[in-house]
Amino acid sequence: MQTQTPSAASSSPEPYLKIRGVTKRFDKFTALQAIDLDIYPGEFVSFLGPSGCGKTTLLRAISGLDVQSEGTISQGGKDISTLPVNQRDFGIVFQSYALFPNLRIKDNVAYGLVSAGRSRSEISTRVTELLALVGLSDQAMKFPAQLSGGQQQRIALARALALSPGLLLLDEPLSALDARVRARLRGEIRDLQQRLGITTIMVTHDQEEALTMSDRIVVMSRGRIEQVGTPDEVYSRPASPFVADFVGRMNFLDGRLVAPNQANCKGVDLTFAGEMTYAAETQVTVCVRPEDIVVRNINGANTNVFDADVGVMEFVGNHFATTLHINGTNLNVAADLSMNDVRDLGVKPGGTIKALLPADRLRVFATPGAAAQ
Amino acid sequence: MTAVAVEAAPARPVRQRMSRDDVIMRVVLTLLAAWLLLTVLLPLWSLLAKSFESPDGRFVGLANFVQYFANPQLTQSILNSVWIAFVSTLLCVFLAFLYAYGVTRTCMPWRGAFKIVAQIPLLAPSLLPAISLVYLFGNQGFAKDILFGHSIYGPIGIVMGEVFWAFPHALIIVTTALATADARLYEAADALKAGAWRTFWTVTVPGARYGLISATFVVFTLIITDFGVPKVIGGQYDVLATDIYKQVIGQQNFQMGAVVGLILLLPAVLAFVIDQVLQRRQSALLSARAVPYQPKPNRAIDTALFAACGLIAVAILVIIGVAFFASIATLWPYNLTPSLKNYNFDDVDGGGWESFFNSLQMAALAAVFGTAVVFLGAYLVEKTRGYRPGRAIYQFLALLPLAVPGLVLGLGYIFFFNAPGNPLNLVYGTMVILVMCTVAHFYSVAHLTAVTALKQIDQEFETVSASLRVPFYRTFFRVTLPVCLPAVLDIAMYLFVNALTTVSAVVFLYAPQTTLASIAVLNMDDAGDVAPAAAMAMTLFFTAVVVRVLYTAATRRLLARSQAWRLR
Repeated sequence: MQTQTPSAASSSPEPYLKIRGVTKRFDKFTALQAIDLDIYPGEFVSFLGPSGCGKTTLLRAISGLDVQSEGTISQGGKDISTLPVNQRDFGIVFQSYALFPNLRIKDNVAYGLVSAGRSRSEISTRVTELLALVGLSDQAMKFPAQLSGGQQQRIALARALALSPGLLLLDEPLSALDARVRARLRGEIRDLQQRLGITTIMVTHDQEEALTMSDRIVVMSRGRIEQVGTPDEVYSRPASPFVADFVGRMNFLDGRLVAPNQANCKGVDLTFAGEMTYAAETQVTVCVRPEDIVVRNINGANTNVFDADVGVMEFVGNHFATTLHINGTNLNVAADLSMNDVRDLGVKPGGTIKALLPADRLRVFATPGAAAQ
Repeated sequence: MTAVAVEAAPARPVRQRMSRDDVIMRVVLTLLAAWLLLTVLLPLWSLLAKSFESPDGRFVGLANFVQYFANPQLTQSILNSVWIAFVSTLLCVFLAFLYAYGVTRTCMPWRGAFKIVAQIPLLAPSLLPAISLVYLFGNQGFAKDILFGHSIYGPIGIVMGEVFWAFPHALIIVTTALATADARLYEAADALKAGAWRTFWTVTVPGARYGLISATFVVFTLIITDFGVPKVIGGQYDVLATDIYKQVIGQQNFQMGAVVGLILLLPAVLAFVIDQVLQRRQSALLSARAVPYQPKPNRAIDTALFAACGLIAVAILVIIGVAFFASIATLWPYNLTPSLKNYNFDDVDGGGWESFFNSLQMAALAAVFGTAVVFLGAYLVEKTRGYRPGRAIYQFLALLPLAVPGLVLGLGYIFFFNAPGNPLNLVYGTMVILVMCTVAHFYSVAHLTAVTALKQIDQEFETVSASLRVPFYRTFFRVTLPVCLPAVLDIAMYLFVNALTTVSAVVFLYAPQTTLASIAVLNMDDAGDVAPAAAMAMTLFFTAVVVRVLYTAATRRLLARSQAWRLR
């Protein structure tokens, strides 16, 4: 299993949320398989994965909306596994905002406070404070439909925070917004979370969202955790081909092991950092990110340097997505060449260049079924 | 799979503790299910039991059925009913399609007016078109010659009356089906150079196919179970619905009435089941990203459909108009001096003006009480967490009345509530049983309206409330109910108008002090007081119109005030 280290954001070693052996079955289908996970106080953790991977199911188990079939969940040292929703301690924000359309913004934010029996003046102070927190103080008297999507989502956030819950759950909070608003709100939510120091879990299928906002990312696939790590770890050192494929773009080069630190892919010998504990001839997949491929200042390096024909060049805005054919082989590699590279080196389709696949940037995975020695 | 199960066996499955909300919701939903059990299922059960009993209450197996099928006069009614329903349904759905096409797919003038005129038959008891037809084509009818010597009393009259009465029901369904067309399909057909005729058959008709099928079943059920039209104009032509009435009211043969009731239940249940299956398939076919179709002017088509719709609308107006003029004539058709003497209901048998006020009271009670029960039930069945068996049973009981003809339900009420040992016997012969029966009779459509409205609002309101530790009933009153107010008012209106005009279920249940106006129409017509019958039917019609207009005005003001949040 993964070793889970508390991230920089937390100071206490004791997890706030402990998930142990959580399994969820719907009739014959197993949506979650024995999930173990610790989340530390003040952390921002994202559950990332394609639809159907179990990320929402796990969030619903944590909130008590759809309780797990097996396993335990404890929050702040208290076992909450069997508690109904309204006896748990969390605030939740949905993709659809779920603002009450017939109530004014101030009444939406005050909704939980009124039932908690706070005094009128206390409620009004708290509402003012919360609206200021999300930067919408001047919208108190409006109805939700009069606000933009981004504003509505900030109100939903303020409402969720009203009772100062110990845990904030965000269920695809930005998916309904357009790209520009989404990018801005990303920063705002993260900033707010850090100021309040509230432990937060966000479910998302958008890797960019997870990478920019989280302290740690939990990558999930088919009801299992594939990897838990900081955004940098998940991006640079994916623990499995699935993670490598799902987060960012990746070249997958099929080959076989010829030495503990070398693989042969379609006649090209690639040297990589570290050693594989598999027998020679084991089928492996070598992964390299298109943006890690180097085409300039290759001075003197001689490992993993190849002459390549330039194939299709697709202009993507800030770079060219380029296909390189390694000379003398039929190995194709996708490389992202910066505008500068292309201009300075005069790269064009049909030309030739030198390309370096840095050894410390290669990730190698044994093809499933291969046995470790 | 087995390996996982074996491995997981030691772990105890987690069961969530119930919150106070969960307990309250389950208890109330169970109570409402019990209410439906009492007002729908148990009466039907009594009906079933009765059909296997002899008049003195002994179990006689299938003897009653054997007796029924041995009587060719009775079995002839089955054929008659099916034949009438078949012909009327085809005609009605065809006309409704034509009309709906004109209203939704052309640029003909007065489309708004056409829509309103088509709703007229909904506001009158089914007895009214039959009475009008008698005035038009009966023995003294001024348009009698159009029938070339055929008598209106019989299949011709029944078919005409039923088509008129069922028309708006078919129209609503077909209009909905035609209104949700995807413009992109028409553009594609255009781009592929398909002609108008080919586009009609390959795009329009398939698109409306499910609506047409659904309309066919709904109309078939309505017509085969309708009692008002054949009662007034059927003459010697017996159908199942009039047979039940004759057996029970005429001959006091309750056992045979129960047998006929069960036979009448069959086509209704069958149509209901087929329609449910088809609807399930339809929802899977609808695409969410359709672009709404905007009709373009086309002189030939617009003119043709304007003529066709015009004829239909004129026919509707004539039928209502004849009843109205007959009711205010001194002696139709000989003395046409306007007079209100036919409105002196206290001068004729049938219950007098009191029956009208009874009807108003009954309709108001059914609207208020029925709306509360229906909406609360729909809310709980949608929002209660877990409790699958309870919700499934409720859902079944709520949809069941759709398949139960009013006459059959009413008959079941006699057997159940008038049974000697039943402590609920005391509601028998009171206003309470009329309200109970009427609410149960019209439950399903109201329930479906409420469910649709509830499905359209955000599904996470309850979750958010629970996470904020707000009890569900607070969110229900503060948010759900206000947001669904238009649907709630629709349900109240639907129940009110139907309670006002219904004849079938309550015809077995009224008592001398609880006579209803719609039944007064029936009884006056039966006694030969046709003009007062027309007058009473028109009174009900005008009441429904006035209430409808008041309702529209009131809701507009109410919505403007309470639904300010809808405006941007």
